[in-house]
Amino acid sequence: MLLLILAWRNLFRNKRRTFIAGAAIGLGLASLIFTDGLILGMEQTMVRNLTASFLGQGQIHAAGFRQTTAVEKTIHGLKEVVGRLERDPRVSHFAVRALSQGMLSSAADYRPVEVIGVEPDRERLVSQLDDMIVKGRFFTDRNPRDVVVGADLAKDLAVSIGDRVVLTVAQSQTGTLAQDLFFVSGVYRFNSRDLDSGMALILLPKAQDLLALGQNAHEIVLDFRNPDLAGDSKNAFWREYSQGGDEALGWPELMPQVELAFRYSELSLYVLGFILFGVVAFGIINTLFMSIYERIFEFGVLRAIGTRALRVAGMIVLEAAALAVVSIAIGMVFGFLATALFSRVGIDYRGIEMMGVTIRNLIYPVFRVRQFWFYPAWVIVFTVVTSVYPAAYAARIRPAEAMRKTL
Amino acid sequence: MMSPESEPLIRTEQLVKTYEDNGVAVHALRGIDTEIRRGEFTAIVGPSGSGKTTFLNLISGLDKPTSGRVWLGGRELSEMSGGELSDFRRDHVGFIFQSYNLIPVLSVAENVEYVLLLQGVPGVERRRRVEEMLAEVGLAGMAERLPSKLSGGQQQRVAIARAMVSRPDMILADEPTANLDSEMGGELLDMMRELNLRTGMTFLFSTHDLLIMDRAGRVLTLQDGRVVTDVRR
Repeated sequence: MLLLILAWRNLFRNKRRTFIAGAAIGLGLASLIFTDGLILGMEQTMVRNLTASFLGQGQIHAAGFRQTTAVEKTIHGLKEVVGRLERDPRVSHFAVRALSQGMLSSAADYRPVEVIGVEPDRERLVSQLDDMIVKGRFFTDRNPRDVVVGADLAKDLAVSIGDRVVLTVAQSQTGTLAQDLFFVSGVYRFNSRDLDSGMALILLPKAQDLLALGQNAHEIVLDFRNPDLAGDSKNAFWREYSQGGDEALGWPELMPQVELAFRYSELSLYVLGFILFGVVAFGIINTLFMSIYERIFEFGVLRAIGTRALRVAGMIVLEAAALAVVSIAIGMVFGFLATALFSRVGIDYRGIEMMGVTIRNLIYPVFRVRQFWFYPAWVIVFTVVTSVYPAAYAARIRPAEAMRKTL
Repeated sequence: MMSPESEPLIRTEQLVKTYEDNGVAVHALRGIDTEIRRGEFTAIVGPSGSGKTTFLNLISGLDKPTSGRVWLGGRELSEMSGGELSDFRRDHVGFIFQSYNLIPVLSVAENVEYVLLLQGVPGVERRRRVEEMLAEVGLAGMAERLPSKLSGGQQQRVAIARAMVSRPDMILADEPTANLDSEMGGELLDMMRELNLRTGMTFLFSTHDLLIMDRAGRVLTLQDGRVVTDVRR
């Protein structure tokens, strides 16, 4: 206990030096806390943008459809699945889609597109297609010849509202080519090249007719009352709906590259922290050595009156730990304040596309408990490990040499 | 209590210490054979560079001789490891320094308590002995003060208490009165002499101070690393 008191009081013998060293370490910690909150906030915003725009929080397909996109691979027992979803309290909204590759031609040009048959009333609840309309309307007239396209596609085809386009698809089972005439009724813009240039939306019954699907469809898009369910691949929901030849998947499985990118972000944060504390480590070593040199005679006295070398080393390590405690206090306060401030005002990355997802909202850093134990634990470990070198030096001080000037 | 002065506490045999100073050999001690008996109140005198400091360093285990041997209480110091020497000093040697050298961030009581803590003395016993020792050196009521709030004489009293509280076999004092006025120095020396007589603890001074020489029971004079006179009174 006395050694602990000694370490703590020694730390404050030179208050200015302790404060500067503590502030350096503390600001490193604060930046880690803030960056962690920022990355988490960015992830949450991106997931919201990703799932709310078009993907949904989860999807149901026939097994194998995602790999082949074969038109004949439709959801098994669609009517029964839809009935179950309507009664399922975990599901807030869902929409049925028909999907196929096709060709959209205008008088000026043609482009390969993904043809998507949608139910406008349900679609507006699970995606933001209707919110992103910049010209025309989102199937308000229920005209079977309406087609809604992305802004980039409209530009590529040189079409606008009311212009005629021809859609060509291959039909289910036979592969027979089918064509039909449509009129552009709406243009949307997500500011995402993939979404804005590659999709043509038509009404679901029209798509089923054109693709010769009967009453079948390829995809059900889901939103949950508790969005966390989508990220929980072990939840029973996914097993319950992955039966009879269908597969139900949450967004992390549907977009594994995004999930992977999030893991890389986390790894990058650890690398950043390692570099940051690596630099700070030299500051800690310098501070401890200055403190040792100032007290070299005192260490000589301590050794002379019977303090073992290991205990002297322990004293330095304890001083480093005490410095870590001071630094953590500083870092947690600054980290909390910075995160709290920006979690209110937000950070504007709107319009920037990252990992294939366009940020459309302000990013708000998010608190989590881990920020206030995991990174402070890093500080303790880093500081204590760093102190081993000065501690070893102090332990090797020979009392006779240290006190040569008097005794 | 007075212990018998016949039993040797320290014995040195052909003690030699040679330093290297910028490539030049400095012969600090050139073969010292002597004995210090239990309970002696001895002054080691001599001009600067005569080897007083080196002699004290070697007999307390703070430094190792180039050749020769030192026995303290029947144990030969050169056979001990670094850790054993630390424990040996902790249990058998008390130090009093010219500049007091108290730990500035510890209170008077904590400074005195420190050695007992190293010895693993239980808390209640530690506090009792610290209280007794501070009363003994006339510092009762000053236990919570920091050294910086004390006069030089008071700080040296704390140093004496720290040196004696562990009940070592001997106290090594390096010019303990050098920073004090003669009145205060005389008072402290009388106190140490009284403790020496009462407890039988051995005191060994390195000094130029006539006050110490006057009170010493034995005066050992060093010159050029050799004992030139050894006078018992």
